[in-house]
Amino acid sequence: MLAPWCPHCVPLSVRHGRRLATRLRVPLRLLNIDRRREEKLADRMVRLHGDASPDYLIPQVFLEWSDGRVDHLLTGFSEQVTRTDQAWRDLFGSDWLRSMRGEGRS
Amino acid sequence: MKRRGAVPRVLLAALASPGGTCYRHCNRPIRTRRVPSRLPGALFVRACPSGVVSVSVYFEWTRRDPSRSLQSALERWTTPRSLVRWRDLRLATRHGPELGRTAERFLASAHPGRGVRAVYWRVYPFRARDGTERRLFVCLRRSHPHPVFFAASPQATKWECPTCSRRQARRTLRSSG
Repeated sequence: MLAPWCPHCVPLSVRHGRRLATRLRVPLRLLNIDRRREEKLADRMVRLHGDASPDYLIPQVFLEWSDGRVDHLLTGFSEQVTRTDQAWRDLFGSDWLRSMRGEGRS
Repeated sequence: MKRRGAVPRVLLAALASPGGTCYRHCNRPIRTRRVPSRLPGALFVRACPSGVVSVSVYFEWTRRDPSRSLQSALERWTTPRSLVRWRDLRLATRHGPELGRTAERFLASAHPGRGVRAVYWRVYPFRARDGTERRLFVCLRRSHPHPVFFAASPQATKWECPTCSRRQARRTLRSSG
């Protein structure tokens, strides 16, 4: 979930999100919280699987599995945009991603 | 023994966020200071040299949402306490993969599936009743057992926190008496 005015979201997390989706070979779905229909869905995802607060942080990134499971992957770092960028970079270098790609190949 | 919810050093190092400048105030570098508190986790305040708070962030290694306990603590340390609004507290969960390899491996071996909870408290600039701008300041003098948060004008060249002013008034009274 993202908002077009948020520097942690656009272009930073959209770019990294596209790259992650390509690596995992899954489609990327963007939910813009400024669009009412998408906002409702985003609110539900955050409430059920993410970091819920009345005015919750964005971006929040989830991985949805074919069996219906949803994993929360990342929430933007409120400190500064460069810290959110660092979190994405660490995610790309993580053991988790390596194991996921291994799983995808087998 | 460590308190339940305490965040190990290896994770605090991975969560650290150095740098940044004071947003829409003085553009000077922000300092991140860990402040003392009785909360089980670790509280950091990011403020400029004048004391204008950019954001405060509290980390706790737990499954529960620590926002309510942070709110109670902040209300005790803030004048007026109405500055602490529930909607200004925002939760985030930090998982291993986004924290670098060392922290990821530590979390995987210690408590797989349990991330670090972060709660951010950000008070945006606001207008007082007289129309003047106010921002959140913090006083971190060592004589205080905890941070003292208060609202003041960002243009003020000299400010005094409510706790320091009370102490000063008491001292003045004693010396004059």
